Amino acid sequence: MSMDIDLAAFAGTDPIYVITEEVFTAMIDGEEGYLRHWDGPAPVILDPMHAWVDVNGTTSGRVLLTTERGTADELARALLQMTPDEPVSPEDFVDALGEVANVVGGNVKSLVPEPGVLTLPQVTQERPPTLPDALIYELALDWRGRAVVISLWKLP
Amino acid sequence: MRALVIDDSRTMRRIVSGVLKSMGFETVEAGDGRQALDVLESGTEIDLACIDWNMPVMNGLEFVTSVRQNREWRDMTLMMVTTESEQGQIVRALAAGAHEYLIKPFTPDAVRDKLQLLGLVDLEESA
Repeated sequence: MSMDIDLAAFAGTDPIYVITEEVFTAMIDGEEGYLRHWDGPAPVILDPMHAWVDVNGTTSGRVLLTTERGTADELARALLQMTPDEPVSPEDFVDALGEVANVVGGNVKSLVPEPGVLTLPQVTQERPPTLPDALIYELALDWRGRAVVISLWKLP
Repeated sequence: MRALVIDDSRTMRRIVSGVLKSMGFETVEAGDGRQALDVLESGTEIDLACIDWNMPVMNGLEFVTSVRQNREWRDMTLMMVTTESEQGQIVRALAAGAHEYLIKPFTPDAVRDKLQLLGLVDLEESA
């Protein structure tokens, strides 16, 4: 995946932020204002969960969402419109977090020239393997006081 | 009116079905295009199919192509509901026989607007 993203279409704003905010507003929160840029040093994410999709084409890349397990649980609960004390099944948890990565990744794909094919989402506790110098972009976000990191990676 | 919601994500099926039910639709769900064809072949009458693009087994475009090859299903309205937002993909889906195209993420209002355009929800009903 190259970084030839059309920034002009976003009037100088960060397109990845715009996409992620749209996803959270439409799918998770139902209204704007709960997602903002992370303020301060890069967040330390303990007990992380990773959800990602790959774009396979002329050049290939990965769109990765990383957050703490507890935050992922809250994301799933919000997405599924569950009550705060309602338990999230493992299947719903994986599916919901994967769908967030899928929708963010699918929209990021639309920014890339000759984008190729989007893979189905994957969700794991282990960070997916990436080359050390393959990080293209990273965005730390604050969702209701919790850290969510979106990163783009080149794939071999 | 009965809608068939086709998406490999149970989360997304639940969201789309919820929006449609709020507009008075009865809904049936399928996890991929093949399962959706099974529903149609069972004789279940469907007025609207909401179709994800990227699914295992049979994707949304293949499903649309299959439906359009069967005259029995020609009155069914087909709406893609997908993250595939490139213009070329939209053109491909419409050329294959989809009537409308809704890009994820979407709001309930966006679904309602599309269904109004398709004549499946009237303005008074959705107000």
